[in-house]
Amino acid sequence: MNLKIKQWKVHTLGDHAIVFALEQKISPLIVNEIAALHSFIISKKIKGIIDIIPAYHTLTLVYDIINFTNNNNNSISEQINLMCTTLLNEFNNAPKINNSIQATIINVPVCYDPSFALDIQNLSTLHNIKTSEIIKIHSSKVYEIYSIGFLPGFPYMGIIDERIQTPRHDKPRPLVPAGSVGIAGQQTGIYPSDCPGGWQILGRTPWKIFDPNENKLAKFKVGDQIKFYAITIADFIKMNEHQL
Amino acid sequence: MSIKIIKKGLSDTIQDYGRYGYQHLGIQPNGYMDFISAWLANKILEKDIHDPVFEIHFPSSQLLFENDHTICITGANFIPVINEKSIVLNKPVHVKAGEILSMLQPIHGKTCYVSVQEKLLNSQWLSSHANSKPLKIGDIFEYKNQEQNKAPKNDYSALINEVTQMVFNNHAPIRILPGPAWPLLNKAALVSILSSNFLISASANRMGFNIIGPTLSINVPNTFLSSAVCFGTLQLLPNGNIIVLMADHQTTGGYANLGQIILVDLPRFAQLHPSQPFNFELCDLDQANQLYLYLYEKFKH
Repeated sequence: MNLKIKQWKVHTLGDHAIVFALEQKISPLIVNEIAALHSFIISKKIKGIIDIIPAYHTLTLVYDIINFTNNNNNSISEQINLMCTTLLNEFNNAPKINNSIQATIINVPVCYDPSFALDIQNLSTLHNIKTSEIIKIHSSKVYEIYSIGFLPGFPYMGIIDERIQTPRHDKPRPLVPAGSVGIAGQQTGIYPSDCPGGWQILGRTPWKIFDPNENKLAKFKVGDQIKFYAITIADFIKMNEHQL
Repeated sequence: MSIKIIKKGLSDTIQDYGRYGYQHLGIQPNGYMDFISAWLANKILEKDIHDPVFEIHFPSSQLLFENDHTICITGANFIPVINEKSIVLNKPVHVKAGEILSMLQPIHGKTCYVSVQEKLLNSQWLSSHANSKPLKIGDIFEYKNQEQNKAPKNDYSALINEVTQMVFNNHAPIRILPGPAWPLLNKAALVSILSSNFLISASANRMGFNIIGPTLSINVPNTFLSSAVCFGTLQLLPNGNIIVLMADHQTTGGYANLGQIILVDLPRFAQLHPSQPFNFELCDLDQANQLYLYLYEKFKH
């Protein structure tokens, strides 16, 4: 199934998911539109939709066909087609909430001390920028969360300043500690748990950004705005939420 | 009532329908690799088909039953034994307190399911028992006898036969629906995917199956932004190889998405042995969804 309505393209993904896609681009405007459609579809409480997954320029609905379709004469693909058309028309006609103005900026503490910033020295040499300048560049911009994936609660954020953009390591580190803040390409991210990983590590946040406690889970969601601020080791120890 | 793991297997887990509703937070659904065999095990014990079961590979874990239980084993045949006495597949089996379930030798298939008639109480997270963490020595699963638990007495051989013929016919192609990167393939690559034999690599696990076949000459740009992927997604890697994402897939992926295997063919695909060649065939959405609905109705009644 393939549909095109205004700026949206809709296609099915296998036999149990539907993708709403905008232009393939890392852009705050696009991810805000994805986040807005996400909230809109949640509010519709559609029977049979078991997951709604936003990422960069797409919103994917996972459905369970058992509860999803009616016993009418239309084929399943016709029903999906009709549902998506109706949804998008309603969404396009609904009054717009300007997310980028409403969203509050979440200030996230990061300790850029060399004991946590495993790669900062190498990046300083590579880009010929002082480490203090790298810290200033990384912590002076407001980042948008474009996607959460890879690990439970791992936020993909961007876009970082061109001067510090660096590809990920060719070989992943066997262990990146939970809370590590890294960069890769145009993006920056935070490791929610101890795990192997290839991002260039600039520091560590004392915040636990993913908690398996059912009432907590992920601290951030797609569309959130994040700004880092530098803290000292002493602050880190005071604020530390990670297990020692 | 409890069941204790007394020997660790290669990669055994507890699974159910899957943990849905949290993929936007990067939490994977997990769930059965072969949902049909899991449904059968539960159905034969007259349970909800989506209930939790042990998913066992070979070499397998050993389970110690600390109380009397009724169990059913389906899926792969690893010659299951209770205290060294072999037991049948696809039938309710009574196990006495103190007895041990082991698997002797893989005969066919890759994954078997052990359903327990009593209700599993612990090990739940976010409304699901599905878990990517392997069972280990000392794990204890607590069960509760339910009032309505009567000895299962219905004969399900007709259902077993029909489902086996429909789902586990190893000569039929694995059906796929084309994905976003499919139209970007050149003609030679398309012909290559749809007419070649493939094999599953020996390193296949619950996260993904590398498949071995002709290396595709690529003209697909490797510049996709990550987007949601699902169980059965065929990812084309930059080196021309294909990896099929399985039940423990990450929530999003950035490789070219060639297509997805239809749900009703995933159980057979999951059970394929590395020596069994298979090929792909295109399918359509209505047919795929109707096949799944047909099977579900069979299990419901």
